[in-house]
Amino acid sequence: MSTASGAPHVRTEGLTVRYGAFQALRDVTVSLPAGAISGLIGPNGAGKTTLLNAISGFTPIAEGSVHIGHRNITALGTRRRALAGVVRGFQTVRLMERESVLTNVLVGTERLPQPNALAQFLALPSQWRARNRDMAAATEVLDLLGLARQAHRRVDELPFASRRLVEVARVLVSSPSVILLDEPAAGLDQEGRQELAAVLTRVHENHPSTMVVVEHDVDLVKSLCSYVIALDSGAFLRDGTPAEVFGDRQVQLAYFGRAASADA
Amino acid sequence: MGDLGQILLGGVTTGSLYALFLLGVLIVFQVSKSMNFAYGQVGMIAAFSAWFFYSEQGLPVPVALMIGVLLAVIVNSAIDFAAIRRIPAGRPGLDLVVTLGIFLLITAVMQQLIDANAHTFVSLGADTRTEVAGVVVSMSDGIVIGLTVVTVLAAYLLLNRTSLGTSLRASAEDAGIAQAAGVNVRALRTATWAVAGLIAAVVAILVASRLSVDAFYMTPFLIKAFIAGMIGGLDRFWLPLVVAVALGVYESLAVYLLGASAGTPAVFLLIIVVLALVPKRFVNERNEVRA
Amino acid sequence: MTGTTMTRPRRGGKNPTVGKGRGVPRLLTRVAVFAVIAAVPPLLFDDYWVFMSAQVLAFAVATLGLDILYGRTGQMSLAHASFMGVGAYTTYVMATNGYGPAMQLAAVIGVALIAALVVSVPTLRLSGMRLALVTLAFGELLAWAIRNTTDLTGGTQGASVDPFLFGRLDSSEPLHAYLIALVPAAIATAFAVHLGRTQLGRRMLAVRDSELAAESVGVAVARTKVTAFLISAVYAGVAGWLYAGITGFIAPPDFDLFASVYLFVAVVIGGAGTVLGAWLGASYVVLMPEVFTLAGQPNLYPIVGGALLAIVALVVPDGIVGLGRNVWRRIRGVRGDEEESK
Repeated sequence: MSTASGAPHVRTEGLTVRYGAFQALRDVTVSLPAGAISGLIGPNGAGKTTLLNAISGFTPIAEGSVHIGHRNITALGTRRRALAGVVRGFQTVRLMERESVLTNVLVGTERLPQPNALAQFLALPSQWRARNRDMAAATEVLDLLGLARQAHRRVDELPFASRRLVEVARVLVSSPSVILLDEPAAGLDQEGRQELAAVLTRVHENHPSTMVVVEHDVDLVKSLCSYVIALDSGAFLRDGTPAEVFGDRQVQLAYFGRAASADA
Repeated sequence: MGDLGQILLGGVTTGSLYALFLLGVLIVFQVSKSMNFAYGQVGMIAAFSAWFFYSEQGLPVPVALMIGVLLAVIVNSAIDFAAIRRIPAGRPGLDLVVTLGIFLLITAVMQQLIDANAHTFVSLGADTRTEVAGVVVSMSDGIVIGLTVVTVLAAYLLLNRTSLGTSLRASAEDAGIAQAAGVNVRALRTATWAVAGLIAAVVAILVASRLSVDAFYMTPFLIKAFIAGMIGGLDRFWLPLVVAVALGVYESLAVYLLGASAGTPAVFLLIIVVLALVPKRFVNERNEVRA
Repeated sequence: MTGTTMTRPRRGGKNPTVGKGRGVPRLLTRVAVFAVIAAVPPLLFDDYWVFMSAQVLAFAVATLGLDILYGRTGQMSLAHASFMGVGAYTTYVMATNGYGPAMQLAAVIGVALIAALVVSVPTLRLSGMRLALVTLAFGELLAWAIRNTTDLTGGTQGASVDPFLFGRLDSSEPLHAYLIALVPAAIATAFAVHLGRTQLGRRMLAVRDSELAAESVGVAVARTKVTAFLISAVYAGVAGWLYAGITGFIAPPDFDLFASVYLFVAVVIGGAGTVLGAWLGASYVVLMPEVFTLAGQPNLYPIVGGALLAIVALVVPDGIVGLGRNVWRRIRGVRGDEEESK
């Protein structure tokens, strides 16, 4: 685990999120190591997605705070957090279905400094410089994810696994320092999962970042993550190395003992 | 004060018509999450064809009105049955586009079948007047306000106090679950459209009896009702209806204070100011389902 | 997607299929096709159809603008013709005060921007449906303004606008009008095509398809909507300027709610979200009434228009262009499979 890359560490303090009377997160204090791939696990209804939403600004926080490095980002909106380097993927793939893979990925360059709207519209030189830079970034990430050949295909023509990768590419293209992925392997078969893990590992080697992955598959978490956080019913349960967390009796109970009845 | 009282009465009556009309928009929006841009024209069908049947074809007025109302109910149900149901998922806003086409179609067809001119409509009590405390009240005013109050209350009770209302709200919340619980969601939706058609027909006939009838007269009316719904929120019940009545009063006051032509800019100014000042979370509809 | 493509090592150079290598010949082909089509009316048509073609050019600027707003950004405006009206009446007022076409155009752009700001800034931070309703009210407002300023605008009776004079070109001559209109139409098209290659254009698509995804990468959703609305209003204003100069007569019905709905029909039938679709739509909206008039059934035009809008929106949401693209893809798809199986 290297922190030399400058990827910040992500911290939440006393995070509470309510949907009406329902407490989706209760006083969650977690710390995600800088520059590592962390796994976020827990049975259905544990609050994994809610935690991701709270960190990325998609859910209003009732109490507590979120920090990126030394910066308190609790008051920032979704967009400002993205500009500050926190970019997420969605559990259900959200793409521009009728546009090309390349277009979908290029949207992700929004975080890079873009010329103002008028300069873009009038094709001033700053627009051409930005375009060349964005194309280079998109080309690199498409190559890295093995999507280069599909760059000009429409997204709705692609198989599901590729569409998942397109979303990952959109997240990665601006090299964000904090990457949040919500069940990126959902709906993939065994082979697809292994490929995805390999891709993410490779991406992480090329672009050091603090990566958080919500995942159910124990094997995948073990092979991908160097750190794991377990949640249960909206509360923090355990953190540590994969071996420590999966070896924990409480985690096993929450995960395997009543996983079937925990759909909240 | 007699003048002002007269203005207020006029405003409340117009506002009640907006509110009653908006009630039809609300129930459709809440049950099928769709907006019907052709809604005013559905009402126009009722009034215009009723005029045609009694004036040009010599049918008795009540029969002609019944035929008109029936036509409106059939057309509005048909819009749901033939178009709204068939909108593919994942294309938000298409309901407005499709009903915009139907709006154009109905207008053109009615112009073609009858004509493009304005005609006076049977008065339905607009001529029977009495004076109460210095304010001239027509029977039509009484009918409009009374009918609006009764209908709105009936709708409220139906939605909140009966099992039918529960089924309706359930299918609005989650069609899949309601379907699984044995509610025939599709039929219920089309039935809602039929009821909305009835409301549109009644309002359009009342409006025609107070003004005149042609192929276009409901459009300004539709715009104002939509505006009231937009300010009050289409997923609420009481607030948009109150806003509709208030809009009628506001409009009458603007006309009274600033002259006959001040209504349109006053309404436009109101929307811009309201939308600019009211906080976003208050006026916005429910957001896209969160991730 | 196969394992081999996924684990393939990174290439050193740029991938030719992703890079811009094929951009230049493609651009030249498009410009050539545009030039050839643009040369048809003056060479082959008589005066009347050249005049109609000039109107197609004016309306193309309008539909391109509406397409940027609706087709790309997903925001519905029912006052696009009203913004054309803003342009046309600004032109008229400027012309009666002795200003030439260039000053008229500058004023049109300024007035269109101001009107668009007033409509869009309070509404666009809200959901899309509200914009549609406020634009409705804006249309009413314009009609009211024209009705109540007969001295300035000619009121309900309409007004004659002086033709454009650029050197020896006089827009009361159909051929000259066509040539004059060709320049702004070509520029508007070039900008619309270029927009698709900018981040601004991609922001619009993202806002249309998923506001959540747009926000998640840092797109300012409300600002993008306002920008799209401003661009579309300027396009509409310029179209109104051209329309006033070409036809020489403007009246309120040219810019009422029905006119706005027809523009909408045009964009949806042509194919929302594509430049070609906007052009097809402009041709439809200008030439179709002529076709029905020639057939002796002018009243059928609104009926067919309404029915087409509803049917096309339901059955082929991507319009003529989408239909054509599907057919083309099917043909090419078959060929592609054969090549791969070799």
